[in-house]
Amino acid sequence: MKAMYLKKAELGKLISSVQDSGALFVGPVVDAGNVVYKEIGSASELTGDYIIPVTTYKQWVFPQTEVVATFAVTKEGVDLDGVDLDPPDVVVFGARACEAASLASLRSVFTWGEDDEFYTRREDRITVITVGCTAIDDECFCTTVELSPASTTGSDIYLRETTDDEYMAVAVTKKGEAFIKAHHGVFHQKRAAEPELVELKLPEPIKGIKKEKISAWLARTDNYQSELWPRLTRKCFGCGACTFSCPTCHCFDITDEGTAFGGERRKNWDACQFDHFTAHASGHNPRDTQFKRWRNRFMCKFKYYPDKFKTTGCVGCGRCIRVCPVRLDITEVMEEISQISE
Amino acid sequence: MENLYLPKLVTIEDAYLETPDVKSFRLVFKDEALRESFTFKTGQFGLYSAFGLGESTFCISNAPTRKGYIQCTFRKTGRVTGGLFDLSIGDTMGFRGPFGNHFPIDEWKGKDITFIAGGIGLPPVRSVILNCLDRREDFGDITIVYGSRCVEDLVYKNELQHWNDRDDVALYQTVDPGGETPDWKGEVGFVPMILEKAAPKPKNSIAVICGPPIMIKFSLSVLEELGFSDNDVYTTLENKMKCGVGKCGRCNVGDIYICKEGPVYTAAEIKKMYYDF
Repeated sequence: MKAMYLKKAELGKLISSVQDSGALFVGPVVDAGNVVYKEIGSASELTGDYIIPVTTYKQWVFPQTEVVATFAVTKEGVDLDGVDLDPPDVVVFGARACEAASLASLRSVFTWGEDDEFYTRREDRITVITVGCTAIDDECFCTTVELSPASTTGSDIYLRETTDDEYMAVAVTKKGEAFIKAHHGVFHQKRAAEPELVELKLPEPIKGIKKEKISAWLARTDNYQSELWPRLTRKCFGCGACTFSCPTCHCFDITDEGTAFGGERRKNWDACQFDHFTAHASGHNPRDTQFKRWRNRFMCKFKYYPDKFKTTGCVGCGRCIRVCPVRLDITEVMEEISQISE
Repeated sequence: MENLYLPKLVTIEDAYLETPDVKSFRLVFKDEALRESFTFKTGQFGLYSAFGLGESTFCISNAPTRKGYIQCTFRKTGRVTGGLFDLSIGDTMGFRGPFGNHFPIDEWKGKDITFIAGGIGLPPVRSVILNCLDRREDFGDITIVYGSRCVEDLVYKNELQHWNDRDDVALYQTVDPGGETPDWKGEVGFVPMILEKAAPKPKNSIAVICGPPIMIKFSLSVLEELGFSDNDVYTTLENKMKCGVGKCGRCNVGDIYICKEGPVYTAAEIKKMYYDF
């Protein structure tokens, strides 16, 4: 499929067209001073002035809370009903290349062995429209983890801004092609002259970081006891903001909410940074101090994801650095490990 | 839709108070077809629901050779186990499973087997013991070393009596010093000491061990002194679990997800793990 064009001024038409088809339109919106992804009604709510939203759009594939079953306890026993999920179509507009790459990572966990259809059914119905970055900040490090604003992995449609206030749209997947076809009235093909594209901004790769050196160092089980872990992560107090803002973090809790007579069983986001996450009922906790919990998160990103699920654990979006209240920078740990690794 | 998190309903057919805070249930599926078709392997576990409170993970403590029901034994410790503890015969619970790997008992044919358990560590081992006893001719000498803090804390007291009465099982029951009663006929001393006394032969021999970490640690040293290879010593790990299917991200010991890749490991495998206990 050839590149198509979309006028920024006609985004409203695209939104109406998407909404007419019954799908939700999600995009970056300013909310209480932060840019976040939200379901929107009209183009005026969208903002184009952002590096990356504070929150991820993973909540549309893996909601923060989700009912998996309902139950009622009666004298005769228990009435139990599983949820038969029929999720809406969702269009995410204005995603960034880094987090688009994260859907493959989430999928690899949720389909490891058995499929978690609460995830797969939602992901099957999502269309990701990425806009190439024309601005970056000091926290962006996608190029250090082998991605870039030009990466199309995980995007269904990849957009580049043009100097005359349009987007050049390239369908990356079949789903993207079908989307452009379905909303063909909004996209146009004809151009008088080849458009000039606004240049992509790429963060400089952090020189001291070498991914293969990190994985080699992590592979040595004795390094799990390294003094580096408590030393570099001492200031972490376990708020969990990094995990909730991370596009690849997948941990959840299963809890019952309701009364003794009935209620719901839910999947809720959880975080390996919380002290009770791994606490046994007996009181024993294998990750009883914060550095062990932080170490687990780092290992998960740079060892377990790549080795076990063959996908990337960190896409370099920099959210965990931006939201951290104590400014614990994951790239500093990556850098030190790269330096000491043989 | 295939819903991984939807439990199957089970009825408590029998309930037994093992100790003041440990209970055993015998469960049957409400769905009769499932009652017939359900199978599992020794060492696998399940997630048991007290509706309104949540789910808890314990092993299936009966043997797959005894079909038609599931048995579990648990200590009342937290919110969910407290809720389960309050249930009784005729009540409804939820069950998900079986999950995890199993003890490779088919590979143990012709070998001597030593079972070492402490306290509430006996239920997972019981599944293996029953399985081996039901196929008694497949194995050599069977030795069981079981201990708890005090006489009152021993679980499966009736079954222990039965094993004690068999002449093809060597049972060593013990309680920690000070835990004995005036009429206690068993040993007094910690499990590793009694294991030393039982002195199972290491050649062509398997050891299965489950109990508190401190017991495991010292029993492993005894087994090593006796000449057991780490490849012949099996245990079952446990960690907090929520999903049971490798998604919720909390039961991992380093890069190993106990729920999917465990819970059964050899001592040799455990020594290679990231130290995340």
